[in-house]
Amino acid sequence: MKPDMGPELPEMMLRAAKAAGLGAGLSRREFLFLSAGAVTGLAALNIGRVWGADAPIIIIDNAKGLLLADPSRCVGCLRCELACTEFNDGRAQPSLSRIKVGRNLNFGPEGPSGGVRVQGAWGSGRFIADACRQCPHPVPCATACPENAIIADPVTGARIVDTFACVGCRLCQRACPWNMINFDEQSQKATKCFLCQGHPKCVEACPSGALRYVPWRDLTREAAPGRAALRVVSAEKAKECLDCHLPR
Amino acid sequence: MAKEKGGFAGKVLRVDLSTGKISLEDTVAKYREVLGGTGIGYKVLWEEVPAGTAPFDAGNKIVFATGVLAGTGVPCNGRTAVTTLFPSCWPQPLVASGHMGGHFAAKLKYAGYDALIVEGKADRPVWLFIRDGRVEIRDARHLWGTGIRRATLEISQEMGPESVVAAIGQAGENRVPLSVVMNSVSHSAGGVGAVMGAKNLKAVAVQGSGSVRIAGDKSEWERLVKFHLSILGANNQHVVPSFPHPQSEYYNPTSRWVGAPGKRWGAAEPPVEINGGLFDLNRISFRSNSGAFYLGDQAWRYTVRGNGCTGCPIRCHTILKVPSVEAKYGIREVAQNTCGGMVFGRSFFKQLPGGLMGPAALEACMVGMHMADDLGLWCNYGQLQRDLIKLYYDGTLKTKIGSDEYASFSWDKYENGDPAFLFEIIPRIAMRQGELGEALGLGTGGLLDHWSIPEETWTQDSATAYWKLGHPKHHANEDDGQCGVIINTQYNRDAQCHSHANFIRNGLPLAVQKKLAAEIWGSPEAVDGAGDYTPMNIHKARRARWSLVRKELHDSLGLCNWMGPWVASPLKERGYSGDDSLESRFYSLATGEKMSREDLDLIGERIFVLHRALTIRGMGSMEMRTRHDLTPQWIYQDLSGAQSFTKGTIRMDPLDIARAMELFYEVMGWDKATGAPTAKAYARLGLQSVADGLAVKKLLPGVEG
Repeated sequence: MKPDMGPELPEMMLRAAKAAGLGAGLSRREFLFLSAGAVTGLAALNIGRVWGADAPIIIIDNAKGLLLADPSRCVGCLRCELACTEFNDGRAQPSLSRIKVGRNLNFGPEGPSGGVRVQGAWGSGRFIADACRQCPHPVPCATACPENAIIADPVTGARIVDTFACVGCRLCQRACPWNMINFDEQSQKATKCFLCQGHPKCVEACPSGALRYVPWRDLTREAAPGRAALRVVSAEKAKECLDCHLPR
Repeated sequence: MAKEKGGFAGKVLRVDLSTGKISLEDTVAKYREVLGGTGIGYKVLWEEVPAGTAPFDAGNKIVFATGVLAGTGVPCNGRTAVTTLFPSCWPQPLVASGHMGGHFAAKLKYAGYDALIVEGKADRPVWLFIRDGRVEIRDARHLWGTGIRRATLEISQEMGPESVVAAIGQAGENRVPLSVVMNSVSHSAGGVGAVMGAKNLKAVAVQGSGSVRIAGDKSEWERLVKFHLSILGANNQHVVPSFPHPQSEYYNPTSRWVGAPGKRWGAAEPPVEINGGLFDLNRISFRSNSGAFYLGDQAWRYTVRGNGCTGCPIRCHTILKVPSVEAKYGIREVAQNTCGGMVFGRSFFKQLPGGLMGPAALEACMVGMHMADDLGLWCNYGQLQRDLIKLYYDGTLKTKIGSDEYASFSWDKYENGDPAFLFEIIPRIAMRQGELGEALGLGTGGLLDHWSIPEETWTQDSATAYWKLGHPKHHANEDDGQCGVIINTQYNRDAQCHSHANFIRNGLPLAVQKKLAAEIWGSPEAVDGAGDYTPMNIHKARRARWSLVRKELHDSLGLCNWMGPWVASPLKERGYSGDDSLESRFYSLATGEKMSREDLDLIGERIFVLHRALTIRGMGSMEMRTRHDLTPQWIYQDLSGAQSFTKGTIRMDPLDIARAMELFYEVMGWDKATGAPTAKAYARLGLQSVADGLAVKKLLPGVEG
């Protein structure tokens, strides 16, 4: 990219600028101003779009919906995990479930050595269910994927694994700060919550109403990540990031 | 074979603790004819554990077995049958099963196993590590002497927090016959803890990342699962609420469907109000509350939520949070269990301040759960506690134990219903301390022997609820007249059969039950109103047979017989009818092997008759009618003098019961004189080799001695 961002400014940025009330001929200063708030701004303006087929996927539209799990209602029955896998994959395999309660069932997120902070069946009796946050840009799993195999579902905007493109490298698993990506050993592909075309089976299956499908909002700034994630951005993608995020 | 069949995990794991040998068998190739659960348990004991083996011998085996439907989304699954020779069975140990729920069954399936056979005896305390294909016998010396809670914690640290640990406590280690193995906090299999202890097996821990394959079309499976959900009631498949509700034509105050609008899980943070429609599938978990059912309305305030087995929406275990017990007794303020496990502590007392549903009762339950579920003590369906009550209040106890030991108990606390008393009695039983602790832990039979008390002292006293062979009644004539009596004669511990009781107590008016009975068992006369019994007829015998067959079927499929069968439903639009073929429909879809209701019931009957054969061989007698299928005298009495077959009494008539047993033998195709299955009966069920084995021992009717 040339330093003086005239007409070569990506069309998307022009639209963003116009929507933000900035003139068509952006000065560098104006562009930097726009860049700083680019992510939030674009998200709010909902004009982010996937780039052309041969360009690295950087910005993905926000999802339309979100799974919410209420630990004050969850009864630890695992019907959500069973519905997720049985009704989608034709086999009962909680370890593959895209909503995750089983891993917190016995001792909660703290684990067996958590002492007084132990939740779950052996602790407070509170069951924590983890659901995919359908992260906004930058989507950790999508960004980490060297094959651009995590894309937005056209109907729900859910971040979904394109199994044709997935090569089974598992980088997405390492990238997710909340450890929500599964790897299906049978198909040798990653798999994650895809919101069941807008009718999540887990929500339907929950016998205590602990799961709800609600309009999306950004949950990534709430609740600390569960683990240290591997932040991976390929060189090609990093280069494209510069379209919006120029160093000062 | 197993790979092509859905449902089955495919392998049976065999562990020899004496030699350390670990081996695998093909479930379908070797055990398909007995399916799983109690079926595999009885088959292993028949083929591999000779008569005369004692429970604590290395030659005894423990079979932990689940079934095809465990670990799937079928509602009310997650059950493991634990089959072995029971040390509490008296005067001679015989085959019996404990049943535990929780998450063990599902995990075993995901690890790749339908069953685990434990044989031999380790030379030092060990625990069994099972993670998918990796199976190891690990050192448990650091765990021996710890309770179930700590053992679970330390094993989970080693194996991972998602592993399911089935452990014994000190009671099992000390070979107390009234001991359990427990998984997932509160899910116990009664009667088997001491057998594990005798094998030096502290725990079995399982982690599994695999799957249970559904052979059939997944959309069809989803529809059937949703259909099953739609015909569910509350705990024990009670299908009408206990409260009036505009959406329900009927209600019945005795029903376990206690979750009325306006009630709430008061100790959830924040509390959860019960709202929504009565039949909403997203509100099933709010229907039942064992805490409220047993301890009254006060329990709602202390209810955190329901809990239970994998995949079951009912959540019949209640998590209770009672802050006062932490300060008062130094125990955790949170505890959970259901039924007998929940009222373990309360059951010791003849009375408590505030009554059976008062605050002292609640505290007693908390204290009881805290200790019994850690020490791994078994109540023998409340017989343990009733035995103490009788011994104490009859004055017998004072004459049997030394005065020093007698004086060491705070009997004033006992008489006053002070939960603190439990700290004196419960640990002594688990640790076999003192004569009373030792005697009570033996079970009723051992206790009667120990103190030379004639069994009649118990069988004449209805307050004991004692039935036979050292164990109590379990849903007998108090629920279901002759049908209940028949069922209670058939086992070697308290009958763990709920098929009949679930229907009789489902809360529907008798007229509706009779209509359903005609559809299911061929005649409205198959059912009476509880406490309003009519003379015996063949339809009741058929219903008893159905109940027993389905009990074994559920136990062998991994389903919960405390919920099934699902022949009644809450749905007026269905005429309150459920589906008598649900088990076979699920089996067919899961495995890909089409089985009709009759096909599957035949297997259930095969399993039940295999239990009969084991009993006959174990007793060395085919005189079942006179020596095994016994009834206690108290069922033929009524303290107010009411006559049998009058309204308001559960009193049975001896001649009528004799007729009941005859009709039962007739519908089973057994020899009427002895109550033993005939060669023809065995052959019809594919048990020819069993018949041959019994014939050699002259235990087959018609084979002369």
